[in-house]
Amino acid sequence: MAFIEFRDVCKTYRMGDVEVRAVDGMSFSIERGELVVIVGPSGAGKTTVLNMLGGMDSCSSGTIELDGQLVSGMGERELTQYRRHDIGFVFQFYNLVQNLTALENVELASQICRDPLPAARVLEQVGLAGRADNFPSQLSGGEQQRVAIARALAKNPKLLLCDEPTGALDFRTGKQVLKLLQDSCRVDGRTVAIVTHNLAFTGIADRVIRVREGRAQSIETNECPVDALTVEW
Amino acid sequence: MPGGPDKARSTRRGRRLAFWVELARGVRGSLGRFLAIMGIVALGCGFFAGLQASGADMRLAADRYYDETRLWDLRVISTLGLDVADLERLAEVDGVEDVMPSRSVDAMARLGDEQLAVRISSIRTGSAESSRQLGSGSVESDDDSYLNRLLLRSGRWPEGPDECVVCSDAPVKAGEGQKVDVLYGGKGFADLFEARRLEVVGTVSSPDHPYTGSLGSTKLGSGSIEQLVFVGEEAFKDASPYSEAYLTVRGAREELSESDAYFDVVGRVKAALEGKASVLERERQEDLRAKAQSELDEKWAEYEEQHGETYGKLAEAKAELDDAEKSISSGRASLDAGQAEYEEGLSTYLDQKADAERQLADAQGQIDEQRDLLDQKEAALVAAESEWREGYDALSSALAPQGMGGSALELLAALDDRLAQLASAREQLEALKAQRSQIEEAASQREALVGGIAQARSAVERLEEAKEFLQEGFTPQMQEQLDQARAQLEQLEQSLAGLDASVAYLPELEAGIATIESQLPSEQELEALAAARESAAKLVDSESRLVEGRRQLEDGRARLDAGQAELDQKKRDANESLASAKDKLDAAARELASSRQRLDDARARYEEGLAEYRSGKDEADRRFFDARRQLEDAQEKIDSIELPDFYVLDRGQSEGAATYSADSKRIDSIANVFPLFFFLVAALVSLTTMTRMVEDERMQIGSYKALGYGKAQIALRYLLYAGLAAGTGAVLGIALLSQLLPHIIMSSYSIIYALPPLGFPLPVESRSALLAGGLGVGVTLLATWAAVISSLRETPASLLLPRAPKPGKRILLERMGPLWARVSFSWKVTLRNLFRYKRRLLMTVIGISGCAALLLVGLGLHDSIWDIIDRQFGPIVHYDTTVGLSASADELDVSSVVDFLESTGEVEDLCRVQETNMQATGPGEGSSATDTTRVSVVVPRASAELRSLVSFRERLGGARVDFTDDSVLVSEKLATLCGVGVGDQVTVYEQDEVGNAVGEGLRLTVTGVVENYVGNYVYVGRGAWWRARQEVPAFSTILANCTKDPEARSQIARELHGWHEVSTVLFSEETIDTYRSMLSAVNAVVVVLVVSAAALAFIVLYNLTNINIGERVREIASLKVLGFTRREVYAYIFREIWILSLLGDVLGMFLGAWLENFVVTTAEVDYVMFGREIHPQSFAVAFALTLLFTGLVLLAMRHKLDGVDMVESLKSVE
Repeated sequence: MAFIEFRDVCKTYRMGDVEVRAVDGMSFSIERGELVVIVGPSGAGKTTVLNMLGGMDSCSSGTIELDGQLVSGMGERELTQYRRHDIGFVFQFYNLVQNLTALENVELASQICRDPLPAARVLEQVGLAGRADNFPSQLSGGEQQRVAIARALAKNPKLLLCDEPTGALDFRTGKQVLKLLQDSCRVDGRTVAIVTHNLAFTGIADRVIRVREGRAQSIETNECPVDALTVEW
Repeated sequence: MPGGPDKARSTRRGRRLAFWVELARGVRGSLGRFLAIMGIVALGCGFFAGLQASGADMRLAADRYYDETRLWDLRVISTLGLDVADLERLAEVDGVEDVMPSRSVDAMARLGDEQLAVRISSIRTGSAESSRQLGSGSVESDDDSYLNRLLLRSGRWPEGPDECVVCSDAPVKAGEGQKVDVLYGGKGFADLFEARRLEVVGTVSSPDHPYTGSLGSTKLGSGSIEQLVFVGEEAFKDASPYSEAYLTVRGAREELSESDAYFDVVGRVKAALEGKASVLERERQEDLRAKAQSELDEKWAEYEEQHGETYGKLAEAKAELDDAEKSISSGRASLDAGQAEYEEGLSTYLDQKADAERQLADAQGQIDEQRDLLDQKEAALVAAESEWREGYDALSSALAPQGMGGSALELLAALDDRLAQLASAREQLEALKAQRSQIEEAASQREALVGGIAQARSAVERLEEAKEFLQEGFTPQMQEQLDQARAQLEQLEQSLAGLDASVAYLPELEAGIATIESQLPSEQELEALAAARESAAKLVDSESRLVEGRRQLEDGRARLDAGQAELDQKKRDANESLASAKDKLDAAARELASSRQRLDDARARYEEGLAEYRSGKDEADRRFFDARRQLEDAQEKIDSIELPDFYVLDRGQSEGAATYSADSKRIDSIANVFPLFFFLVAALVSLTTMTRMVEDERMQIGSYKALGYGKAQIALRYLLYAGLAAGTGAVLGIALLSQLLPHIIMSSYSIIYALPPLGFPLPVESRSALLAGGLGVGVTLLATWAAVISSLRETPASLLLPRAPKPGKRILLERMGPLWARVSFSWKVTLRNLFRYKRRLLMTVIGISGCAALLLVGLGLHDSIWDIIDRQFGPIVHYDTTVGLSASADELDVSSVVDFLESTGEVEDLCRVQETNMQATGPGEGSSATDTTRVSVVVPRASAELRSLVSFRERLGGARVDFTDDSVLVSEKLATLCGVGVGDQVTVYEQDEVGNAVGEGLRLTVTGVVENYVGNYVYVGRGAWWRARQEVPAFSTILANCTKDPEARSQIARELHGWHEVSTVLFSEETIDTYRSMLSAVNAVVVVLVVSAAALAFIVLYNLTNINIGERVREIASLKVLGFTRREVYAYIFREIWILSLLGDVLGMFLGAWLENFVVTTAEVDYVMFGREIHPQSFAVAFALTLLFTGLVLLAMRHKLDGVDMVESLKSVE
């Protein structure tokens, strides 16, 4: 059984009288320790997938499993615990708390979960030991995103979910962030899922899930993913 | 372009429409924000306008009430009353519209159990009867000069002199059918009113007494009027003068009562009246004098007439009596002459008689004397004779044995012979004896002679031997010696021979002596003989003298007897002549007595007549003297009719109207402070809200700008938005609160003011409404402008970019490393946030502190006001009963009342004091008698007694304040009003009828300031009083504690009323109840404040939370994504608000305490001091309530937090 299982997952939103099917029978599976890139154009439903996978939203039908837990059957309270302990989230716009320093932002996450990694070490890992006491506004975008990743990693999550992690970054820093994500998968054996519209990222993934119109259009595994630093877009 | 201008116009119209549509959508889209601005502006404006309107509405209510009951504008009081002429003179004064005279007098009356001071005033029953009452505060009458129109609340108008109506608003209630026993009054009462029982037939409200807390002060009873009694004119004594005149001023009704304009109008007339006062006073005096004089002159005439008549009659009677007196006198004279003659005769007779008797007695005396002499002589003679006989008998019997006898002469001769014989025998014997003694002497010398012989012989022998021996040697001398010796020897031998011969003769001689001696009688016999001879000689001598004496005696007796006979004859002759004279005299005496009897009878008749005359005369004298004195007194009184004092008072000097006006002004001053907050908070709320709105719509502004909209137009959008919100809020707030607040305040005040409140809709005073609205909207627009202007300065390009999030900042706290290290990240973020958004911090803290402060003010006011009673009665004042005796009561009366109270067993802790209503000033430059405060001056008889009934302590700290005989304690409020402290001097003045301070005043040095809430007191130790006043107080007020049992209490009250001297009986329980009902008004104010506080809290907190959440949606969503539980998210966001609330709450406590103090000191009247402390529980409640409001808002805001979609975190930053 795979680490993550998406089976016939549907998600419908009601917008007034109109019913919108954002995800329509999505199925895929992800193995432990894989770097997965979920890719698709805007409106393909990848964000919905991300939401459901991250425990921020529940599916209308189908089942979602992670490490044997049936995520799709969880209530709100359980979902909170799930997000808290099992998921690490990296946002496109970093979403750091402006009023906390880099280290504090990491602690913010590590303080609430069961088995955290030491915040300072994680920050060191992402190469920001020297900026630990800086506020987000004093950091560059890449640095901010690395703090965000450190924040996600510090929770020692089962799954590191990244939503367009380079979306707000320039090319160089974007690559560095990608590298960091790749390393956390390669070095620490962490399962990492990156949601993006950027097809260039598919090269670095172990598995690429292409999403279109609410379905997994194709799922391909990449036998020899390239190093993130070599990616060009 | 076809139809260019049209198109342009329509486009412009369309654009404008689009603009408005957009605005409307904007409002709909952010209703919360809109409502927040609207709400706070509504609250601010409403409060301001409402409070501003309250005072004005109160004044307007008063003005309408006064106008529609035709309340006086000026009141003229004359110390000597007024009559019709005075009224006419008053009416002549320019500006005076109508004049209504009135009689009124203060009296003690019994009403139910209580005995209290009432004011009895006359009303125009006719006009009252025909008046029409419209609503609760309006009376119409055809009689224009019917002023101070009473409003009949129940029953009917009085009809006879024994009916009355009473004030329905007075604290002491009375209803129809009840009786008012008018007992007595002060000076001049009896001239005006006859004490009697009146029946209450109705109750009224008097526009002249809108303030029910005090209906006026008096010199009677407890010093304050407790009830008003209105009677018809006929209830007063006939022809008694009016005591006052009420005037209305032309044009005054058009002005708002007691406004400056009003006082301008009234002041002119008042000044005119005061200017004319001296003239009016003089005319009044002249009128009074003239009227009294003419009455008196009539009386004088009558007096003279009666005087003449009475004394004429008396004079006639007197003449008759004088005639009688004259004849009696002449009779008396002749009688006296006869009497004198008689008495002269009598005295002559008595003299003669006495003379004769004296002469006879003298003669008799001489005779008797002589006889006595003779008798003495005879007795002596007889004695001598018997003595002689005894002598003779003794002698003769003695001599008889010797054979001598015979007469004395013979005896003498025999004795002489015998004596001669005896003398010769004695001579013989003597001679013999002499011889014998010679011989015996010689014989005694014989020895010596013999010795001498022997010597001589030896001498001779020696010489012879010498001769023989010498022979030749023997010398002639020696021879001579020898010869002499021989001669001597011879002589001596011879003498011896002679001696021996004489001794031989001696026996013969002895015999001879013995013979003679035997013949001689003994010595005694010899002396007896000599004595016998002597007595014989004496007897012979006295015998002859005795014979001669006896003969002389016989002669004397014979002469004496002859004299006695002659005297007896003379006596007889004298007695005869005297007796005849006496007879004559007695006859004369009898005649005199009978004529005297006649005269005495006549005299008695005369005396009777005279007495009758005199008593008649005396009576007439007395009667006319009295009458004369009375008339003279009356004259004196007329002469001493002083210039009366005319007082002209306006409504400012009428306690009720002035108190009400002052209260309305107090509301004004509160109105100027309270809404400040609301405006401040409104400004802050608008500023933060609009800033947030502008931030939110940054992009839109950028777009508009990019589209070519001008700055002004864009700004207009926000200004319009804010203006619309503020305008709507202002209109709503003003419309609602300017009705509600004045209504609440007026109905609160209606408990102490019998003023009909204004009906809805209340007039909205445009000035204050505009001011409030202008302020509210202006403040909001200003805040909005400030929010918008910075964004508008940016270029469209930068506006289209998301605004950089406000950077995090280190806060001061972080410099304290160890402390900061201990703070959890969520606290860190909270703390940093607090200081990050200073505007919000300010808004929230001020808003919440305002809320807390309002709550505290509300609760604190409640405390302060209820403390007046709760602290005053119980903790400070322990007595519940006051029994006052009238000024005429003496020591005996007071102590008998005390004894009675003690004897009931239901009354304890009695304390006798002197309680005087006076006026006090401080030592300030004023120290004149103008700016004074009414005080009760209490002087206890024993300071310890008072100490047990009143706790003297300081309010702050509660330290006990000593009260001894030398102490002067002032109550705290008075100390504040007069500005005195310990060691300062407070001056107390007596007050006159109108309540003005008079006299020099007593200076007392304050020794302590004590806590007190109701009334102003000066407690003076008797020692201190004595030093100031030099007068022993009467101590005629008794303070005590009476049983709580109402039956026993009213029994005691009834008995006390039986005492004529008892003037007041007050049980403070009733007073307390009255106060309590008065104060329940406060609760409404508390509710208003609590509600506004809650509204304030809700608006501020809602707004804050709203902004907080809106601004941090992304952060919240991120946290949720990070796996924060709901609770953790709440804590993360709300903690900040809690802290701000707490901060505001704490600040609010201080602010509230200050504000409460301001309100309390502003709202306070002179007569009471509100409690100055807010109770700890009020602090606790206000604090907790504020937090509760916060909690409630946050509870409501939870769903908003819950509603934050995690998906927001994924969204791009616009």
